[in-house]
Amino acid sequence: MPDFIDGSENVSVHGIFNWILLLAIFSVIVVIGNFIGYQHPISDSLVGMAILSLITLAGVWMERYLPFNISSIIYISVMGIVLAFPGMPTSEILLYYVSKVELLSIVTVFLAYVGIGMGKSWDEFKALGWRAIIITILVIASTYLGSAFVAHVILVMTGVPA
Amino acid sequence: MHLSVLLLVIIAELIGPIEIQLTKGVTVSIMPLLYTMVLGLIFYLAKPIKWIQRKQARIAEGAMMLFIGVLIAKLAVSSGQSIHLIFEMGPALLLQELGHLATIFIALPVALLLGFKRETIGMTNSIGREPEVAVVVDKYGFNSPESRGIFALFIVGTIIGTVFISFLTSISVSVLPLHPFAFAMASGVGSASMNAASLGPTLAAFPSLETQIEAFAGFSNLLSFSIGIYIVIFVALPLTEKLYAFFEPKIGRDYVKKGDDENA
Repeated sequence: MPDFIDGSENVSVHGIFNWILLLAIFSVIVVIGNFIGYQHPISDSLVGMAILSLITLAGVWMERYLPFNISSIIYISVMGIVLAFPGMPTSEILLYYVSKVELLSIVTVFLAYVGIGMGKSWDEFKALGWRAIIITILVIASTYLGSAFVAHVILVMTGVPA
Repeated sequence: MHLSVLLLVIIAELIGPIEIQLTKGVTVSIMPLLYTMVLGLIFYLAKPIKWIQRKQARIAEGAMMLFIGVLIAKLAVSSGQSIHLIFEMGPALLLQELGHLATIFIALPVALLLGFKRETIGMTNSIGREPEVAVVVDKYGFNSPESRGIFALFIVGTIIGTVFISFLTSISVSVLPLHPFAFAMASGVGSASMNAASLGPTLAAFPSLETQIEAFAGFSNLLSFSIGIYIVIFVALPLTEKLYAFFEPKIGRDYVKKGDDENA
């Protein structure tokens, strides 16, 4: 099996200690970027990242040790949604700290790792040629625009104000 | 390696977003998230940088799987906060998944014109991220031309997809008069990193709707990974097969160079 398939199915870094360490490093980098880019106070966004990391940790742990064949992405989403649900005792404090971490700060750090990881596919990419690139661009553009147009039409039909 | 990432992030955040005016009213904004990704790739490829090699790329890839969780958690918190909106917009969120089928009608004929054969079915049925790759490999077998097609799409998408969708989004939001939420939902069509890269320009264009846009984007991405896969199995793949059978005898071409696609 090529490694890009099994890599997507499981977290390939083993051991809870390892996960915690990686999440801690990641959090520190995000918080620094968050401070430079958006001037959010370091202590608050550190708490925010700690909350997000805990949810993540719980999610990947459940994927590993619960006897259901459910991806960690689903566990994490459900936990995040439920904890932030208006009316939940957790929601207010959670929203305060998590809102101090900008989504884009997380993304910026995340994509740096993606870039490094991407290097591995570089040679295969070069071997594919321009025809595959044209098709890929067409596929992405038409999927994106198709989705946007359908969403727009339905939103307008159901009378959602712009 | 983590120190290098820190360095990249600091550089990127200090530069900040850059806006390029193409023509009047059409602005392309380049977000810091693109610099870190491209610089990360350059760090890997650059020969003098010895401390980032194949081994680090493997670690980065593993770590990425964990860090996606943090991203998803943040999006989920935004969704939870706006859960009533998600229910109100339910029909749009669900039906926009069908908008993904547009790719079949547009990309399939072009792929045939370019001389692809059965690879076309793998290449044009969907955006070709991990879940779709799994479906196609499962259905056609690992060594089939269909799987070769989607592997090619997957690899090219991995390299250019994130950058491309970010440009596409920033052009679309400034040219197309669509609903802000429609852009948010559309940003969820692909992988988590594509989702993120497309969100950047969308958030920049509609700063007052930040939480709602994050909520729709996150939810739409979740749907792409859950419901989207059934659409691929039950709608997209059969439809691709039908269109292939219809178009192939009319516009399909003989292989120009056979060896070209073998190593896909």
